[in-house]
Amino acid sequence: MDKDLDRRFDRIEKAISQMIDALAKNHPSEKAAEELLAADVELTEGLKLLETHQNNNARIQQLRQETSLLDTQIRDMASSLWNMRKELKAIPTTPRYPNGTKHQFTTAELLAYARRISRNTLPPPGVTNGVDMSAPQPSTQPPEPEDSFRLQTQPTQTQTPGTSFNLSFNGTVGTPGPMGSALTPNTTTDTQPATQLPPSQPPKPTTEEILPLHLKPTINPLHDASFHPWPTEDKIRSGGLAAIQRLVDRGIDPRGHDPAEEERKLREAEQAKRDAEERARQEREEAERRMREERERMARERERARQMEGAGAGLDRRDSVAAFGRAAQKPKQFTFLGADDDDDDDEDD
Amino acid sequence: MESGPMSVDSSALEPPPVPENGASEQTHGGYSRFELELEFVQSLANPQYLNYLASRKFLTNPAFVAYLAYLQYWTRPPYLKYLTFPTASLKMLELLQQEKFRQDIISPDLTMAMIVEGMKTAVEWHREG
Repeated sequence: MDKDLDRRFDRIEKAISQMIDALAKNHPSEKAAEELLAADVELTEGLKLLETHQNNNARIQQLRQETSLLDTQIRDMASSLWNMRKELKAIPTTPRYPNGTKHQFTTAELLAYARRISRNTLPPPGVTNGVDMSAPQPSTQPPEPEDSFRLQTQPTQTQTPGTSFNLSFNGTVGTPGPMGSALTPNTTTDTQPATQLPPSQPPKPTTEEILPLHLKPTINPLHDASFHPWPTEDKIRSGGLAAIQRLVDRGIDPRGHDPAEEERKLREAEQAKRDAEERARQEREEAERRMREERERMARERERARQMEGAGAGLDRRDSVAAFGRAAQKPKQFTFLGADDDDDDDEDD
Repeated sequence: MESGPMSVDSSALEPPPVPENGASEQTHGGYSRFELELEFVQSLANPQYLNYLASRKFLTNPAFVAYLAYLQYWTRPPYLKYLTFPTASLKMLELLQQEKFRQDIISPDLTMAMIVEGMKTAVEWHREG
């Protein structure tokens, strides 16, 4: 480009100098003037070309700048992507079942489960918040030892039965209850930092404290409420494992043993025994009845035989027979129709 | 329970079937294996019970340890949803797989600390969230 321009400048300079020379010699040449004109036109074209060139160059520069800017953006983006990827990879994944099968469940199931476990995973609000009971309410009254809002744990196996302890919760701080500090010998008081305790906050005597003990549950459903995040000892002791232990203690192998079934069998056996007794009694009564009837029949036969004899013996024995007959007729009154039937039968015979 | 012969081979290898429609085979003193193992795995949540088991030398019995390993099926569906004390039961079951914990829980101090911590956690976990 530069060379091309230089050439055009040279040409116009040459044309000008020739023109000047011609003018100086006072010998104007038409040819030189035309040459100068042509050179001028050529130079103008060259300058225009230069302008275009410069514009193009500027455009190129601008484009380069844009490219580099975009390049930077791309690089930034790439690096941030890489960083993000690194961070994502650095997140510890759940160690167990990373690619395990997904288990389908419905919202209803989830809610049902949540409702089922809620009483075991979260204490009722009144039990922990202590509501008004634990609010700072300065008073001269001493705190009631049996705070109704408390968490109570069972005494351990190794301790004496009296060493239960209470945990009463004031806001967020767990404090050992009065019973606990007096009776629990070990870590209860250690692990409940006394430094976190708010200054003594004896609760103001409320209606609940003034009321007799047996009326307290009526105004506070959470009276004596306790919360345990695990099954308590009495629950364990009243469970199926304990029942099996009792069976084992009695020398029964629990395998294949079903108390309900056993009880049913026992009941059936008792029923069968009762039925047998009933049957035996009925049979006995039946036998007695038959024996009695037999005896009565024999007595009647004997009496009839005597009457027959008496009729044949004469009047001298009538009195005694009559007396006997009266005596014999007495039981006859108890035999009712039976005697007549027998008589009829006899007559038929 | 302690009178029964315990050997590593005596424990069942397959988890019991999940009862359907409340009906289950009641073969052990009127209870099914499912019911008893569910009850046991939840009882393990009680630190005092663990302390009791440790004091009766159960936790050092290889057969019992194998049984504890077997009980881990409660950490998986479909058994998981039957736990009504899921937090403590699962944590204790996890801890019980460690030999050190099985040895340490015989300490009354640790038992008491676990009781206190367990209570505190149960009360405070939702506050943090």
